[in-house]
Amino acid sequence: MTDAVRLETLYKTYDDTGTAVTALDGVTASFGAGTFTAVMGPSGSGKSTLLQCAAGLDRPTAGRVFLAGTELHAGKDTAMTKFRRTRVGFVFQDYNLLPALTVEQNVLLPSRLAGRRADHARARAVLDRLGLLDRRDDLPERLSGGQRQRVAIARALIGDPAVVFADEPTGALDLRSAREVLSLLRTVVHEHGRTVVMVTHDPVAAAYADSVLFLADGRLAGALSAPTAEAVAERLAHLGDLVGAGAEAVA
Amino acid sequence: MIAVALRGLRHRPGGFVATFLSAFLGATLLMTFAAMLDTAAGADTVSAESLSTTAAVAGGWCLIIVIFAVTSTLSLAVRRRAEQTALLRRLGATGPQVGRMIVGEAVAVALVASAAAVPVGLVLGRLLLALMQDTGQVAAGVGYAFGPVALGVGFGVTLLGSVVAAVATVRRTAGPAGARPERPRARRVAGVVFLLIATNCSVLTATLMDGKGIDAMQTAGQAGIWAAIGLALFAPELLRLVTAVLAGPVRLAGGAAGELAVLGVRQRTRRLAGAVMPVALFTGIATGTVYMQGIEDDAAAGTIQPAYARDIQTLNYVVVGMITVFVAIMLVNSLIAATAHRRREFAQQRLAGSTRGQVLALVSLEGLLVTATGVLSGSTASLFTILPFGAARADRVWPDASPVAYMTIVVIAVALTGLSLLGTTRRTLRGPAVAALR
Repeated sequence: MTDAVRLETLYKTYDDTGTAVTALDGVTASFGAGTFTAVMGPSGSGKSTLLQCAAGLDRPTAGRVFLAGTELHAGKDTAMTKFRRTRVGFVFQDYNLLPALTVEQNVLLPSRLAGRRADHARARAVLDRLGLLDRRDDLPERLSGGQRQRVAIARALIGDPAVVFADEPTGALDLRSAREVLSLLRTVVHEHGRTVVMVTHDPVAAAYADSVLFLADGRLAGALSAPTAEAVAERLAHLGDLVGAGAEAVA
Repeated sequence: MIAVALRGLRHRPGGFVATFLSAFLGATLLMTFAAMLDTAAGADTVSAESLSTTAAVAGGWCLIIVIFAVTSTLSLAVRRRAEQTALLRRLGATGPQVGRMIVGEAVAVALVASAAAVPVGLVLGRLLLALMQDTGQVAAGVGYAFGPVALGVGFGVTLLGSVVAAVATVRRTAGPAGARPERPRARRVAGVVFLLIATNCSVLTATLMDGKGIDAMQTAGQAGIWAAIGLALFAPELLRLVTAVLAGPVRLAGGAAGELAVLGVRQRTRRLAGAVMPVALFTGIATGTVYMQGIEDDAAAGTIQPAYARDIQTLNYVVVGMITVFVAIMLVNSLIAATAHRRREFAQQRLAGSTRGQVLALVSLEGLLVTATGVLSGSTASLFTILPFGAARADRVWPDASPVAYMTIVVIAVALTGLSLLGTTRRTLRGPAVAALR
């Protein structure tokens, strides 16, 4: 099985204020096609940075990113945008739907921006699958949080991406909507063969994934397959201890 | 609350630069012309009359423009700090407290700007008097005076204009949370009233002022200003109309970006209408004044003119220059404010797959629709001046003049809009898109 995403010794340092902050400290990982992986870690562990570098939204300081076997060259913004269009779908915590566009227009926006003809039939098929067909002419402001996130998922899926990245997709949702969205992501993986990589801080959300990857201080700190919420929570608490005890304890 | 206001001013003086500049320029010009009234008090009758006319004509222009410019810059400065205001409200500040803070800031800025204007106004007033003495308008012996009228008008009008603008802004922003519905009826009624006044001035120019020579400028000049303001008040409607007409070509030229531009203008008509206003005022007043003076120059060639004709000519060009500066400030300020807060929106578009180039194309096309609306309204308004003045002064409605001046004015309008929009957008697009969402 080929890897949908492969990361080789990724480094990312931020140096906005003069004092360098290391967000990623040599991370190597791969995510198989057709899998659902959660990336977890305490605040500041570098999990969002990992996702953004892997998705071509941010440039790693060093290291390589392969998406569906093709290397992502951290070059010009425009080139990276075009690369993303064909390979990556993204779901954000706060949906990032354009308020001026209807549901269907939002879903079709990426392909319109890529200069392709709007495939209304396909958009409607995806919206139908996500239970949003009757809302396709509504503006996002008329939808609930859960519905908006489903629109965002439809938008991420429409371009047939090699991988869908989700950054805290349930962070702004109530429990019921969160469950719906997470089940939907599972369905997307298991019934439609997509690949999903999700960053979350919520053990319950992580339990929906096939496996969990832990990050602490910008480094990999273990993995867990077939996770339960309890197991994830326990491992997270343990991660906190390690970080608190300092680097020597880990070594 | 006043203390908070002053701390805010010291902490972020940058947010008030535009307000300060427009208040400073306004106060300077007001003082310059009001000093002619001070001077007139100690002059012979003929000189005094000439001085008062100059002050009244040019001062009137200043008054309107100062109030416009201060209102627009101040309300944008306040809107840009909506977050801070919201924070204060959450911390327990009442609406009136926030209101006092905003008015306090406005007063402080106006006071500092007026004080800074005193030395500049003093020098400019002296120059203006010298100019009028050179042209023989004012007796050489008349001594320059810069006194209570100059200071009173300069400080008074600037302060009053700022307070009125601040109170209007407070009523719009510091009210209870939630969008305040627009009151289009009041705006439209005002627009119709201004257009009626403009028409009245035009008709007066073509009838009553026919044969009165250069004096017809008084009503003709006003007609164009009133018409420009009247049409500017209809900016939202006109913008919608222009967008509807140009939607096809814009979509064709811009693809997805064009489509987003048309949608964006439809959604944000009110906000963008704020940028139509300065373009309309500039195009209208500049075109009207320059061509009116052109007609006058042609008609006056070879005839004996009243002594103040040359002053008026100078003044007309001073007015055009002044308006250009003011409008540039208003335009750049409103466009920067209207674009800078779209950082998040642009980031969202880029995350949805827009390249930087596509975002820039979108903004340019929006700017095109705004500029086209402003230039069309302004050009229409200028006809309220040009046509009746031509009829009254040269017995021909359509002037026999080169279109170069008009084209220059349009180019300036397009350049001002384009440069400020693209400059801000580029800055807004700097760095990775995800950073803008944090």
